[in-house]
Formats: sequence, C-alpha cells, structure tokens
Amino acid sequence: MLKYAFKKLLMMIPMLLVISALIFFGIKATGVDPINFLVSPDMAANTEILDALRERYGLNDPAYVQYFRWLGQLLQGNFGSSMVTGSSIADIIANFLPPTLLLSSVSLVLAAILGLVIGLVSAVKQNGIVDYIGRFLAVLGQAMPQFLIGLILLLIFSIRLGWLPATGMYSAGATNSFIDGLRHLILPCIAITIAMCSVIMRYTRNSMLDVMNSDYIKLARSKGIPEWKVFIKHGLRNALRPVVVILVFRISLLFSGSVVIESVFSWPGVGARMTQGVVSGDYTVVMVLALAIAASVLVASFLLDIISAWLDPRIRIGQ
Amino acid sequence: MDQSVRKMQSSLRREYNRRLMKRQFNKFMENKLSVIGTAIMLVILLACIIYPFVAQYDYKEINLGLGATAPSGAHLFGTDRLGRDLFARCMMGGRYSIFIGVVSALGGAVIGVVLGAIGDYFGGKVDAFIIRVTELFQTFPSLVLNMILAAVLGRSMLNLILIFICTGWMSTARLVRNEFMSLRNEVYVKASEAFGMSRARVMFTQILPNTRTPIIVSITASIPGYILSESSLSFLGLGVSDTTPTWGNIINSGTNLSSLMNFWWLWLIPGLLLTIFVLSVNYFGDGLRDLLDPKQA
Amino acid sequence: MNESQLILSVRGLNTGFVSDRKLTRIVKDVSFDLERGKVMALVGESGCGKSVLMNSIMRFLGKNAVSTAERISFFKTGADGSVTEQRIDQFAKPNGPEMRALRGPHISMVFQDPMSALNPAYRVGHQVIEGLREHFKMSKKEAMQKALEMFQKLSIPDAEARLQSYPHEFSGGMKQRVVIAIAMICNPELIICDEPTTALDVTIQAQIMEILQALKEKEGKSIILVTHNMGLVAQMADTVCVMYMGRIVESGPLEAVFDHPSHLYTRALLRSVPVLGMKPGTRLQTIPGSTPNPSELGTGCEFADRCEYCRDACRAKDVPLYAVAPGHNARCILFNDRPEVH
Repeated sequence: MLKYAFKKLLMMIPMLLVISALIFFGIKATGVDPINFLVSPDMAANTEILDALRERYGLNDPAYVQYFRWLGQLLQGNFGSSMVTGSSIADIIANFLPPTLLLSSVSLVLAAILGLVIGLVSAVKQNGIVDYIGRFLAVLGQAMPQFLIGLILLLIFSIRLGWLPATGMYSAGATNSFIDGLRHLILPCIAITIAMCSVIMRYTRNSMLDVMNSDYIKLARSKGIPEWKVFIKHGLRNALRPVVVILVFRISLLFSGSVVIESVFSWPGVGARMTQGVVSGDYTVVMVLALAIAASVLVASFLLDIISAWLDPRIRIGQ
Repeated sequence: MDQSVRKMQSSLRREYNRRLMKRQFNKFMENKLSVIGTAIMLVILLACIIYPFVAQYDYKEINLGLGATAPSGAHLFGTDRLGRDLFARCMMGGRYSIFIGVVSALGGAVIGVVLGAIGDYFGGKVDAFIIRVTELFQTFPSLVLNMILAAVLGRSMLNLILIFICTGWMSTARLVRNEFMSLRNEVYVKASEAFGMSRARVMFTQILPNTRTPIIVSITASIPGYILSESSLSFLGLGVSDTTPTWGNIINSGTNLSSLMNFWWLWLIPGLLLTIFVLSVNYFGDGLRDLLDPKQA
Repeated sequence: MNESQLILSVRGLNTGFVSDRKLTRIVKDVSFDLERGKVMALVGESGCGKSVLMNSIMRFLGKNAVSTAERISFFKTGADGSVTEQRIDQFAKPNGPEMRALRGPHISMVFQDPMSALNPAYRVGHQVIEGLREHFKMSKKEAMQKALEMFQKLSIPDAEARLQSYPHEFSGGMKQRVVIAIAMICNPELIICDEPTTALDVTIQAQIMEILQALKEKEGKSIILVTHNMGLVAQMADTVCVMYMGRIVESGPLEAVFDHPSHLYTRALLRSVPVLGMKPGTRLQTIPGSTPNPSELGTGCEFADRCEYCRDACRAKDVPLYAVAPGHNARCILFNDRPEVH
C-alpha cells in the first residue's frame, strides 16, 4: 500500500513539470515581458535598471534556460509579484488559496455523502421518492449552468428571504465568527455541491445496480446476514470502486465550479482572483494561480487514487 | 453478373435496410424521454433558425422609451432595459450558441479521431504518451484553461471555437482509441492483416468506418457541454464580445444586482431556455446512443 | 413415504418473469420430495429452469420475478433435535428474518462460478466466518479456528496463511473450495449445489467431485445437485429429476431413470452424453431441433416439437405424470395406461 502510494506520489512530479512548462511557454508565446515576473511594477519604469536586471537574470538566454530558472525560483518559494497591483504572489496564494480549499473540500465531502446516500437508496428502492429527487437533482446538475443555480439561490435565500448573506466569507464586525463563516459558506457550497453530487449519485446508482446483480451478493445472502450488511458491506464497498475511479476525471468539475461560484458570491478565493487576473491581464498571477489549481487537482486525484486502492485489494496487493 | 440478379439483390438490400430502419425507429419511439427531448430540441432549433426571418421585432432594435417590460402578449419574453425584444434576442442567441456548440463538437471530434488513430497506428510509447496527455487535459479544470486562452487570444467567436476545440477533444480521443483497440481484435481486421494489407490501409478501410456510430454519438453528447461552457465564460466576461447576443451574453447582461432583483425575466428566461435545450439534447443523445450503439448503453 | 424422513418437500411451484408487461413461465408446477441424507440430482439442458427453481427455493429471485407455490416445506432440526416444518413459501419477505435464520445453519448453497461468487474486497477468512459470527455469535478467534479446521478438511494447502488471502490470490479450484467452505461452515442440513463443477477445468472437477462425495458419505448431508455432469450424477445421486422447459418430465431412483429412461427427452439426453462403461463404438447422438423460446410455448408437452413419437394428443392439454413403476414417474402420454401421480 505504501509502495503504491509512493509510486503515485512520484508520478505527480512529471505531471506538474509538464503543466508548468505548458503554462510557462503558453504565456511566453503571448509576448508578455518576463521581466515582470521578477520585479515589482514601481521599478518597471526605469529602463536602465530593467536592462541591468535583464542581464543579471539572463532574460536574454534561450527560453528553456529561463523556464528552468523560473522553476528554480518557484521551488525556493519566490513567486514574483503581481503586474497590476504589485503585491507579492506568495501573499496572494496565502490569502486566496485557503478559502478555495475550504469551499471545495466542504462541497466535495457534502457532495460525496449526499451522492452516495441518494445513489444507494435510489438503487435499492427504484422509482421511490428518493429516486425521483435524485433524478431531479441530476437534471439540474447536468443541464443548468452552475452560475445560474448560484444566482437563483442568491436571489431566493439572500435577496428575497434575507436568510443568508449574499457575498464574501465574513461579515464585518460579526460576533460569532464560526456561525458567521458557516452562514456565508452555505449558499456557494450548495451551488457547487449540486453539480458534483449529481455526478456521484448517477455513477453510484448505476454501479450499485450492477453490483447487486452479482453472484457474491447472492453468496452473502446465502449466509443469512441482515440485508443492511448485504447492501453496505458487500454492495456499496464494491460499488464505490468504479465511482472513485471515475471521480478522478471529474474532480476538475469541483475547481471549474468554484471559479464560477466564487464570482457569483464574491468568495475571496483563487478562482475569483484568477478571473480578476485574467480579465486585467495580470499574467504573473495567472501563471502561478493556474499552477496552484493544477497542484490542488493533482493532490485531490492522488487522494482518490489512494482511496480506490484501499477499496480494491487487487490494486493494493497486486496480482 | 446477370443484370436482373443484381437488380434483385439491390432491391432486397433496400428492403432489408428499410425494415431495419423501421425497427430501430420503433425502438427509439419506445423511449418516451428521448422522443420528448428530440421534439423539444427540434422545436427550439427550428425556431432559432426560422424566427429571425419572420420576426416581428429586430433583435437589435432599441426602444429606450419602452425600457424593461415584463413578458406580455406583445413581447412574449418581455424586453430588456434598452427596450429590445427578448424573444428575438433569445432566438438569435440560440443561433450563435448552438452554432458554437456544434462546430466545437465537430472540431473536437476531428482532433480526437486524429489523436486516437495516431496512438493506435504507432502504438507503444506514442500511444502511452497520448493517453497521458489526454488524462492530463481531463484532470485539469477546462474552464480555467478556457479562461486563460480566451484572455490570451482575445474575445471573438472564432477564437472561442478554437479554444473549445483545443480543450474539449479528450473524450472523443479516449473513445476512438478504445474502439480501435477492440476492433483490432475483430476477425475481419485480423483477416485483412493476414492478407498483407498495410497497417494504415487496415486502419482507414476496415477500422475507421466502423467507429462512425460511436463518434456520432460522442459528438452529440458533447454539444451540451460546449453550450454550457460558453455561458460560463460569458458570465465571467470572457466569452464572445458583448455585442454578439449569444445565450451566455444575454443571460450575463441580466445578472447585475438591479436586474437580478427587479427584472427576473432578463436572466431567468434565457437561462431556462438554455437549460431546457441542453436537457433535450442530452435526452436526444441518450436515445441516439441506444438506437445506434446499443453496446454502450 | 414417511414424512418425518423428509427434509424438503415442494408442491406446485411456479415461477415466471415479467418483462414488457408479459409473464414468461420458467418453472411450471414443480413438485418433489427430498429425503434426509439423500442426494437428489436435477439434470437438464441450459435454460431449462434448474437455477431458477433453486433460486425460488432459496428466495433469491429478483423483483421482476413472480413465484407461487402450494407448499415449500423445509423440515428444520432444532438444537434439541426436534423437527419443525418451515413454510418457506409463506415467509413474508424474501430476505426477512425467518428466511435468514434458515440460510447458513440449515440450508446453504454452492455456486456455479467461483470466480464471481467471492467478494473481491474481503479476505477469504473473513468471508468464511461471517455466517458463524452471525448465527452463533462466536468470537472472531473461535470462528477463525473453525474456518481453519474447515480449510484443512477441504485440503486447502497452507490453510492458516490462506485464510488471510484475498480471492484474487486463489486459483479457480481453490476458490471453489472456499465457496464450499462458506457453504459448510455453519454445518447446514441441506446443501444446494448449483452446477458446482461446470466452470472448472476437468482435473479440478474431479477434485471437487471427491469433496462432494465425501460430504455425502462421511457427513451424511442432504444435497440437491444441479448439474450437466452425468458422471457426477451416476456417482452421487440417489434420485434423479429430469427437467425440460420448466417441467420435471421424469423422476425416480437413479438406477430406474438411468437403466430405464422412460420420457423421450430423458432417453435423448442420456444418448447425447458419454457415460462411463458405455459400449465401445457407440455413437453419441444429438437431440434434433433446438430449445424452444419459453415465451413462445403453447399448451401440451413442451418436448412435442422435437419428439419422434409426437401425436395430436400431446399438444391437446398439459400431460400429467404417470407412474412408470412405483416411485418412478414420467410425464409422457406413452404411459397413459399407468396410474396418474399428483
């Protein structure tokens, strides 16, 4: 198991390298002056200093040399600064990444729990009420743009009913910051959860229906154990495997979702910051944030790989 | 061969095809959701194509005196803040959005087929490399990629379609490769190879024609995704330029706070129209898959 | 027959499946008795309803199945040795508490394909002791000790280590031994073996046959053996039921059925498979025609279309069972001079 995890972890390194190269050369192809990666904008007016810096940092070197140097800088924690606001990118990451990770991880956990429960129940009781709720959610999650779901929630629950706050992560001067944070989290979280949950639910339902027809379910029943054990222990445990495997490819949905939803609810996360950076042409920020999102996706899919290995002894132990 | 025999054969074949079509058609009709989906899809599609020719209102015609009015008999979907007829705009928007969706799906399929075929033809390392790249693209959030590319390339319809093609080919590529892999083991492919046909010739004459139906199904299934992506990009202010009334742009122009609160029809109606269209294409796609490619169902 | 010697008695069992709002009958009016300590073989070609019949008795049918019976009685021996009749057909739920109490310590099942019968996610030891833990509230350690003994009895090499292995680490024959161990672990009175050797290699088949033979002779288990393997039938069975298109067409003691096959289907079936001790030079024969589609069968004898003696009376109405000899029945109008059996 450890060996497997280590192997998967090692495989993330080349993936990250490829992504960073794609981002670096992609942005480079647009003709943005890379000197901006290294200096803050208030110095950028002085051409003499810039020329000196260009020489010092070897910006006249071939692109691949520059790429590895950029990579080296990144590894040392030197992310450069924003071309537009001048603030340090390290600070931007420190400020904006945690809210996004909070929002997406809470949404993922919620989506996983809801998706599994609804998927399981709708497979066991086909055409029951839960099955219909599930189908409705699936339709919503599949066909309605996520920002529209967000807007509808916003309109109903904060503007019309006034139950929940419409924007941001905290209100100024809130007395109980945990409850306050929770209240801010609810709407964006639901908006992201619906799409993610509909995916998990659909796969769980189909996979569960497959598994319940298998011989080992009959064998489990032939032992005379209670039905809930048959469903959960023998059914769900095996039905989960394909669901987790597919989720690796759908985890990006979570981050795409958070980009849009953060904009809807003015959530102070990397997604919203990234949108701002893209719109204002702040490429230094965009590059590093894109890399941060890529790294988050890789970590998430690594965790899913580990879960699927834990679920399947054939991967864990090997043939 | 005798002329009359050939004639008989071809008429037999026609009869066989006709019966097969009829049976498949009946099967399709049995799935009610697919039938309803197809009907709704066709209605919206035809309305979008025909309406601008017979329109009562021009989608660009500004009537500041009128301003934003709620849906009524005169304006089915109401009017926007500049007094433009929302129904006319939605129909025009449908043209753009559906066009973007269809062309991107076709383009993505072309790249997918080419990459899938290259992977199959060279096999080994090339194949493994293409799989890795496909997985990489699949795990990375495509919206983020679309955003960056849109900002870098600039906002235009052509650029948007190019971007969608660049970031949306993966599912077709995987499908084509898997399809090729299983077809390589078919007896008639093995037989062609045994006759000494070159690998490329086998690919083009024996394998590729047989991947036609799954590719058609995959194209249909990917259209809704592009339409949704267009609307998300527009919402973030990175879609086609604001003057082009795509569905995404129409919805987006109604999402500022005052419109959100006071003029619900400005964003909700185009939003629901888009949702219903996407849903109907999904159900049409499901029906098409059951019809053409039962083994995938 | 003395009722107290019976372990299972089935009367008028009918099972069908609903699809496209149409009911297709798969098991038709099946009745049989099994005596305690005896082996009954159920033979017939694929798709004749053998497995559905067994699943009906075990109450394993899916939601689209409809099953009715005059009576499915299982005679259960309690801890004190007293025998009580359990009406399986009257249990409210297929997987309810009454049925679950029988499964494991009283009735158990060996499945056809060991490759798919074991749960890939759990160690085999865990899967073997699950029943013990459920029914006898044993501690894990005690149960594992029992499982170890069972593995040794079934000659699984390196039994102690093997208990900790996962199914994918076993070969097919070893997996089938594990499946048998699971079926045997609660010491059931009746074991239903649903084609236990069909999915295995010939050499492995012989080993599994030996194990089943030992179950019969050493442990005196009552067994229902569903199989195509006539060698296995000849070696183990006390009585034989021949099934064709959902009906038992012939039943009786092994010698009677094998030496004097009466129904024309039984004769054809026995001519089509090699039997040990066959005269050299005898040719195997195929049964003419093909298996009919169960949803397209009319009234009368199901075998009529493939039968060389078929006459109008065969198709007029369903054919009753006639007693060819005492205890030996056949469902064929050739014997309509004999007494009918109900």
